[in-house]
Formats: sequence, structure tokens, C-alpha cells
Amino acid sequence: MALLEVKNIHKSFGGVKAIQDFSIEADAGEIHGIIGPNGAGKTTIFNTISGVYTADSGEVYLNGTQITKLEQYKITRLGMGRTFQNIRLFQGLTVQENVMCAFDPQSRYTVLGGLLPTPKRLAEEKRGKELCEKYLEIVGMKDYLKERPENLSYGMQRRIEIARALMCEPKTLLLDEPAAGLNPTEVGELTELIRRVSKQIGFAILLIEHRLELVMSISDLIHVQNFGKTIAVGTPDEVRQNQEVIEAYLGKED
Amino acid sequence: MSALVSNILTQVFITLIAVAGVYVLTGLTGMFSLGQAAFMAIGAYASGLLVVRLHMNFALAVVLSVLMAVAVGYLIGYPVVRLRRDYISLVTLGFGEAIGALLNRMTFLTGGASGLTGVPRRVGLPLACISAVAAIGLVAFFKTSKYGRQCIALRGDELAAKAMGINVIRVKMTAFLLSVALTAYSGALYVFYMSYVDPTGFGWKKSADWVIMVFFGGVNSLTGSTLGAFILSALPQMLRGLQNYRYVVYAVLVLLILNFKPSGLLGEWELTPGNVKRSIGRLTEGRRRKEEK
Repeated sequence: MALLEVKNIHKSFGGVKAIQDFSIEADAGEIHGIIGPNGAGKTTIFNTISGVYTADSGEVYLNGTQITKLEQYKITRLGMGRTFQNIRLFQGLTVQENVMCAFDPQSRYTVLGGLLPTPKRLAEEKRGKELCEKYLEIVGMKDYLKERPENLSYGMQRRIEIARALMCEPKTLLLDEPAAGLNPTEVGELTELIRRVSKQIGFAILLIEHRLELVMSISDLIHVQNFGKTIAVGTPDEVRQNQEVIEAYLGKED
Repeated sequence: MSALVSNILTQVFITLIAVAGVYVLTGLTGMFSLGQAAFMAIGAYASGLLVVRLHMNFALAVVLSVLMAVAVGYLIGYPVVRLRRDYISLVTLGFGEAIGALLNRMTFLTGGASGLTGVPRRVGLPLACISAVAAIGLVAFFKTSKYGRQCIALRGDELAAKAMGINVIRVKMTAFLLSVALTAYSGALYVFYMSYVDPTGFGWKKSADWVIMVFFGGVNSLTGSTLGAFILSALPQMLRGLQNYRYVVYAVLVLLILNFKPSGLLGEWELTPGNVKRSIGRLTEGRRRKEEK
């Protein structure tokens, strides 16, 4: 069984069929791009897989475990990391604390350790900080531990969000438009970063992206969505030549 | 120290403990409780009754009353932590007023409107002071623990918090129960200091007062909240000479601060060794520059 297996999920909001029959199989080391015009239901797919919404029908498996109806935080703990379209770092916390938040649910000390500096607490905090530095180093943000994210550039915030998602120790990583709002240099760095973590850590990556230069260059397989339906699946080259895809993006020739 | 000053300080320290609880709830977690003072009443009545009626040991009674308040807190917290922010205030408001009414009506147990009398005096300034320092210390440790971080995270963005694996309901419940325990403890100290308690004064106004103290000093700072509580709870006592006008002074002061410094007196600043060193460093730096000129 593949690391992430999504089988025929459907999701409607009232009369709007946001997802109709979406399936995907992703394995470790693979990068799957999901593209499509605005309103095609791409983010809804992420929200349904990661448990923000529950699918109306269909099934989702993560590493062989059925997660279709699980609560969001439980899905995360089973190995689902994600970033958001509009950056959602935590206000009022430093870079280090933001990333630590993704470790805290796995941190093994009790309320007593929450109130007093018990040896267990000190040991767990140390372990968390080391992991935190490791992931911030991977995304190149290790020098900004004590900064507040809101004082940093957009590109840096994106990378902190990725570090925070990595801190969840995911088996599947969902990246929702990671290149939105970045300049061309930053897009280049981001492409390189995604490729690197995919190799280094070895999980399945699902990537929603409008910047085609990014998604075409790193995806193994591309899923094209339009009005909630999958209109094409294939390698970047196949998708580029698909008539239906061209129509969805550019309109039909009379 | 005169008896008056000692009296004011003892009451201020007792308030500080409750406000430390409100800081955990409102400052860290972003939940507004308008029924918080009811937990103070529960702590006061439960411990007082255990000693007066059952002649229980004072320390044991205090511990038991805190545990009872936490049990009640768990029942009321069960719906509260699942609600959206504005509804939390409504539910806790209803709960708090209901407790007040119950204490008034259950005359056979509580003495009704005339209150519970004959509680031995076991608390003085030293115990109140030590308790306040300990409570604030515990909350400071809580803030920098994984619990504190998760509280701040979910306060800002619940959806992102869940996406990071944070069990939002459980973390909220932990914060709520900690605040309940602190508030109930302050209630127990209160009754063994005053040696008397009646149902008035534990309504939503008191809960709102505590929230105001937290915002006045700095909702994102434990140091600020403590300072705010210290100033605002001592102030009305010091202005006794002005009689009812003292509330005008109180209101104007609060309005001025919140208008000109919405993040409160201290904003996010905390009293930590690092921050103090930095502030002293800045001071001496400024002085050196002046001398060079």
C-alpha cells in the first residue's frame, strides 16, 4: 500500500460539489503537483485529507491506517504535516516557539512538568529544541530562533512554516501554494528546498501551486483539477499537451 | 507595619492569586470567563464549611476545597472548552450567577444571605504573600512550558494549532482547570482571613474586574497582569477618603491606559533575568553616551 492513499473522495458544500471523485496514491520520495484554476477545489482536497473537513464519501489511508473520519489533530499525529495558502504562523511566539508547538503534542511530560521544572520537562524541552534547530537548519532559518516571525520577510515566513510542518515528523507533507507571494529568486530557493527535503527525509509531498515553473520542474505526477473534477493525471510533459487542460486554462478555440 | 497597610496587602495578595488564574485563562488562552469569581466562592464556602461543620484540619480543608472546585470546573468546562469565544463568556456568566443564587438559597448549609460566620482566622499576611509568590511562580513556569506555548498558539489560530497536532480541547481544559484551582485557592485564603463570607461580591462584576486588571497591566504579560492587579486592587483601598468618587478615578485610569496603550502597561514585557539585564544594559549605555558628550 502506498504511503498516502486517497480513494474516490467526494465533498459538497450545499449545492457546490467542491470535490468529485478525487483519488491519489503517493509514495515516499514522490512529489505530486495539484494544479487547476481558482475555485477548482484544490485547497478543499487538502482540507479534506488533513481532517479540517470530513469527506462525504470515499476513504483516506495514511501509511495503511484509515484516517477518513479522524479528528484533525489525530491525523497530524499519525504523520500529516501541512502548510497554508495564507501563512498561518502563531502570533505572540518566536520562531523557535512556533516550531516547538508542532513538537509539544508529542512532548512527554505531564501537568506537573508544566508547573515545575522537573527533570523530565528539562530533558524533553532539550530534545525539542534540538529537533527544532535541526529543522530550522534544513530550511536555512537557524539564525532567527529568537525573532518574531511577523518581523521577517514573506519568504522567510514560508520557510519557517515548512520547518514547523517538518517538526510534525510527517509521512505526508501537504504544501498549499508555498511559492505564493515570493519573488523569482525565492521561488528558485524554495524549489531547491522542496527537492532537498523530499530526498533527505523521504516522505510523500503533495503540492498545490499556481507557479507552473515550480510545479512542472519538481513534480513526478501532476493532477489537474477543474470545477471539483480531475480532468487529467500524468507527468508534466503529458499534462502540458493535454487538450482538456489547455482548454481549462486558456478556453476553447471556436 | 500598620494594621491598615497589612490588611490592604493581604487582600491584594489574595486577589493576585485569582488574577494569576485569570491570566492563564484570558491572557494565555484567550477565553473570557464572567463566572470566575464563582470558583472563588466555591473555594471559600467549601473550605469554610469543612472546618466549621466537620472540624476538619485547615490545610486538608483547603486542599479538598480546591479539588472540589476543580471537579465543578471540569463539569462546567466540558461544554465551555468546546464553545466559540463569545459563548464562553455567556455560559460562564450564567454559571457564576447561578452559584451566587444557590449560595443565597441554601440557607441550611451556607447561612444564606447572612453568610457563613465563625470561620477561624488562619491566614495572615505572610501566608498570603508566600501563596501569591508561589502561584505567580507556577504560572510563570506554565507559560514557558509546552502547555503555555500551545495555549498561545491556539489563542491565535485554532485551525493551524489543530493542524500541528495540538489537542485544542484538552489544552483549553488544562488551562481552565489550572485557573479554577488558583481561583478556588484564593477563595479559601479569603475566608480564613476574613473569618466570614457571604454570597455578595462573587458575581460577574468581580470576574470582570479581574479581566480588567489583566488587560490594564498587559494581557500578554504575566508581570504586567500581576502589576495591573496590584495597582487596581490596592487603589480603591488607598482612595477610601474619596468615598464613591474613587471609582471615578479607577475608571478614568483604566480608560486612559487602554486608550493610549491598548496592549496594557507592560505590553508583552516579562520580568526575566535576561530582560532585566538588557534593560540595565540600555540604561548604562545611555548614561555613558551622555557622559561622553
